[in-house]
Amino acid sequence: MTDILDAKVLDANIAFPPQPKPRAQPQSRRRFAWPKGVSILVAGAALLALILVLLALFAPALAPFEPDQQKLLARLRPPIGFERANPAHWFGTDQLGRDLLSRCLHGLRLTLALALFGTLIGLALGVSLGLVAGLFGGWADALIMGFVDIMLSLPFTLVALLVIALAGTDVAVLICVLGIAYWAHFARLVRAQVLGLRELPFVEAARAAGATRWHIATVHMIPNIVSPIVVMASLNFSNLILLESALSFLGLGVQPPTATLGSMVGQGRDYMASASWIVAVPALLIVLVSLAAMLLGDFLRDHLDVRLRER
Amino acid sequence: MLKTLLKTALAAALATTALTGLAAAQELKVGVQNMAPWLDPGRDFSNVGSQFYFNAFDPLIGKDANRAESVWQPGIATSWKQVSPTQIELKIRQGVTFHNGDPMTVEDVVFSFDRIINSTFPPYTVRKRDTLPNMAKVEAVDGETVRITATKPEPLFETLLNVQQGMIVPKKYVMALTGDPNVAEPSDFEAFALKPVGTGPYKITEFVPNQKLVYERYDGFWGEKAPFQKVTVQRIPELSGRLTALKNAEVDLITNIPPDQLDTIASDAKLKVEGMQTPLFHVVIFNTQNPKMANPKLRQALSYAIDRKTLNEALWFGKAKVPTSHTFAQFGPLYMPELDTFEYDPAKAKALLKEAGYDGFPIRFDTQAAYYTNGLLAAQAIQEMWGAVGVKTQLNVTEQWTGSEPAMMARNWSNPMYFPDPAGSFGIMWAPTGNSASEGRFKADEAYIALWEKFRYSTDLAERKQAYAGLMQMIKNDPPVLPLYQPYESYGMKRSLAWRPLPGHIPYVLDFRAGRVTLAAR
Repeated sequence: MTDILDAKVLDANIAFPPQPKPRAQPQSRRRFAWPKGVSILVAGAALLALILVLLALFAPALAPFEPDQQKLLARLRPPIGFERANPAHWFGTDQLGRDLLSRCLHGLRLTLALALFGTLIGLALGVSLGLVAGLFGGWADALIMGFVDIMLSLPFTLVALLVIALAGTDVAVLICVLGIAYWAHFARLVRAQVLGLRELPFVEAARAAGATRWHIATVHMIPNIVSPIVVMASLNFSNLILLESALSFLGLGVQPPTATLGSMVGQGRDYMASASWIVAVPALLIVLVSLAAMLLGDFLRDHLDVRLRER
Repeated sequence: MLKTLLKTALAAALATTALTGLAAAQELKVGVQNMAPWLDPGRDFSNVGSQFYFNAFDPLIGKDANRAESVWQPGIATSWKQVSPTQIELKIRQGVTFHNGDPMTVEDVVFSFDRIINSTFPPYTVRKRDTLPNMAKVEAVDGETVRITATKPEPLFETLLNVQQGMIVPKKYVMALTGDPNVAEPSDFEAFALKPVGTGPYKITEFVPNQKLVYERYDGFWGEKAPFQKVTVQRIPELSGRLTALKNAEVDLITNIPPDQLDTIASDAKLKVEGMQTPLFHVVIFNTQNPKMANPKLRQALSYAIDRKTLNEALWFGKAKVPTSHTFAQFGPLYMPELDTFEYDPAKAKALLKEAGYDGFPIRFDTQAAYYTNGLLAAQAIQEMWGAVGVKTQLNVTEQWTGSEPAMMARNWSNPMYFPDPAGSFGIMWAPTGNSASEGRFKADEAYIALWEKFRYSTDLAERKQAYAGLMQMIKNDPPVLPLYQPYESYGMKRSLAWRPLPGHIPYVLDFRAGRVTLAAR
């Protein structure tokens, strides 16, 4: 997972200066032109992502039942269309008679929120430390990159286990765990970009004009490294969805009865042979969410990479 | 010529098939959910360890495992006689040898009990306190006779000499394991727990803590020889893993099948299911010593709010047994289902909460994820039931044992029947010196202690019954525990395997002795 993420983002290294000349766009005679570079696959992914986000946002209104509401004597009812199905439960019920559709909608909401917050924390932490390492150099660089190397050499599941064992399984803890999962990737990327930018004439000019490091970082550096960061964040998002699912599957994520897609798969795994819908529906949603995020991430990388665009 | 060749080839093929079949039937492979971290019958009281001791160890007095009621049989002792209310004398079987070849003597019997009742090793001290508190002295009268003396008149001598904790271990072997070979040191007991040796029909030839146990037939066994040359017990923690292993014929028998998975096995023509209501309660316990849980009315309310009948119908398809009191059919004359210690009454629960002044603080309910069959599901259902009467519950899924934590408020647990008497189930856990008192979540007052003494040591059965009913009333008024149900534990196995759990055993015993199991070659 890490290697793929690194490889994709390193592919997306941006050539400097970052503003290529806009090409002259031929005037279209049609009223609607299919956006250039957007394949049907990407458009489908964007549509899928939009639908999933809307479902998550409006889960409380869309869900026909409360996600934790149990009907103990109506457990393990299959989705509609199957024998013994209850028409009130489109996707069937789970091992405690809870409506699977409602749990999926709320689970999707929490899973996306966790991945989003995790990405933002990783982004903030990684970008700040990467900037400091790149701009200051010296012992600050050595210290931060030392931490980065340690972080990248550790299997993250073990780190997560340790943190959760020490700090508990609260949602806030889980967000922090997800937040620290990929900060090192951000830091390494940003540092590499800053080292490249640092030697360019416009930065040297700013320095010669007496600009402070803060000014250089915020005005000259960050706007120039936004593209690879956005690409990495999008890929990071899908990886965090999978990581959250893996942790919840192992029972280390959000605690029951609260649903996330991963915990639904984890707790339903014993029913794969006898009531496969309990696992199949949330697992399919995990696949769809991470697929959409991956495809959009790939698109952003292709779109923002100057070298790829010029080929 | 060709005919002869064909006949010879056919005969050879048939012979090979028969031999292979015979060889297969010489080994039994078992997939269990949990494997013990160590094996010592004297210090163990876990549901995990209790699966394994009966095949490799013997108690002084045996018991008919086919019958729920107590029918005592000769074991390591061939006969016994209670010579006074506080003393019993037993004749020890001659010619018995341990798996390492050492002859078993009265010295080994004395040592086996002495290591617990005069313990220098803390784990044994705990067992002395909860299981053998009345045993004062075990001595050899002569080369064939042992005398056991109790502090107070003992109505349960035979019962106590049948318990797992009283199984016989080899003195010389244990003492020689580490350090001074003439002194039993704690390190000897630790070493023994990893290389256990007993007198039973199977010897333990391989033990990988938490993973694997291999028994092999012990040809020097004093009784009927074991039916299998080898029994391999492998831990397969995931239910889906155990089911797959059984379906793929990697194992012959698997444990811990929840009722809602039984159809998966039953639908396979090559497999079948056996099960029974295990003499054990899944319980909810309360930490009466946690200031937040100190009000008995709060705990009463929590008990009244749990609809155990619905839990049984939903999670166990009605196959479990919801008890009216802390009592098992195995108790014989002391089985008292007529008591109404535990009831469901949500209206009463709401009223009691109001009286208790419950202000909506969250009750932390601790549970392990997979230790008890249906444990996590029951915990979530209880959370919902408590929510229905206005109690906020914070579910805490943890693999740690939190029963001794001062901050523990409520959690799930089990109360197994360690021996067939209320003292051997309720007593082990809730006696004034029992496990719960030792761990600080329960404290008996003077009235409770006095009634307990009467129940435990009276030799008059009617008086014992009356005292136990009184104890149950005290538990009802100030509840530290709520038994949910006697689970229906199911085992999946090949159709060719004839085995079932037996009602005369303590819970979870995997009894592979002669007459208890057969596996057809095909």
